[in-house]
Amino acid sequence: MDSISTKFNWFGLAGGVTTIVMLVASLFYPWWQLTIGDNLLTVNASPVNTNFGFVGTAFSIPLIWALNVVALLTLLLSGIAMIIYSVVPRRSFAKPLLDFGYKKPLFTFLFFIIGLVVVAVILQAVLNFNFPLMGSTTNTLAIPFVSGVIISVLLSAGFLWSFWLAAVAAGLCIAARLYHKKVAPVTQPPKA
Amino acid sequence: MDKIRLVLTLITIAIVVIPLVGTLLAYQGNLLGLIVPPELNDLADDLMGGDGDGGSGLEPPTMVGEPQYDAATGTFSASFQFKNSFPLDITIKSLSGNVECVEHHFHLGTASLSEPVSIDAGETGTLTVVGSWTDDAISHFGAAHSDEELVDVVLADFAVDISGIQIQMDEGQMGQMQVPNPAL
Repeated sequence: MDSISTKFNWFGLAGGVTTIVMLVASLFYPWWQLTIGDNLLTVNASPVNTNFGFVGTAFSIPLIWALNVVALLTLLLSGIAMIIYSVVPRRSFAKPLLDFGYKKPLFTFLFFIIGLVVVAVILQAVLNFNFPLMGSTTNTLAIPFVSGVIISVLLSAGFLWSFWLAAVAAGLCIAARLYHKKVAPVTQPPKA
Repeated sequence: MDKIRLVLTLITIAIVVIPLVGTLLAYQGNLLGLIVPPELNDLADDLMGGDGDGGSGLEPPTMVGEPQYDAATGTFSASFQFKNSFPLDITIKSLSGNVECVEHHFHLGTASLSEPVSIDAGETGTLTVVGSWTDDAISHFGAAHSDEELVDVVLADFAVDISGIQIQMDEGQMGQMQVPNPAL
């Protein structure tokens, strides 16, 4: 029972460390990037750092910035909780730490994808503006009150390596929850 | 164990509430600023309030000198100056169109940009457009414009690629220009 393989929750340790690494990486490398034209407009999106570049000027949207801070702190605490839990998985406080930490990378990952899809659907419905989640497409823009002019722009989008690192972190944290049963099995109370 | 869960729950609430409430308080006098940052407003003002016609920041190109015609190769060329009124550097990657006789709507040939031109913000660049007349066009110039040294033409199906943005205009959007009659 005290073998090295079950003394620690290795999946949890890997998940916690990967979550922290992913968090730091996401500050500099977006999960998803959209480019319009020849870098006329760029969208760099990740749950912890979303910013926009327009004609060479970078800016962020305050509301999204606040949500980024929420995600950053959540993932940071999640990673720390997973690491602490993983080295002492049988202590009484370990299970609450695991429950606190293991779902957050997955939820962040899922909410990010859902958010992108929702934004894409809203832009399509409201502005009739299509953008690809992956790959390239040419979009035609209507110019109000002007006829005879058609403007089309090339849009390129894709998920970057930090997105896939987040998927790995989420997977490891879920694996840690499943592995917890081996590390700290529930003991049945002795029958009277 | 319950105390730890309680502490973790309180921490979760705090890290959600504090940044959101803090940002809301910071922008309480300008809630629109939560979604539209001032940098974006400044950029929009720069783009819409340029020095060009109608305040659009866009000035039509002006022809420099007279169009040239090389009878040996059957090609013509014309140079235009274009002021980049936008607050960004642009590259005109391509330009193409069909040249039509204004009077008879006769297709005379095609025209395109000789080479990509990069123009810094606020600077003026020279675009050289080259093209060739079709054999039918030469006949048309001779038959229908035999007494004109300069013939009014227009670019139809005009398309230009500026820094990855393709703009297509129909005949009505393009100004006319005069080209030397190759039949004379």
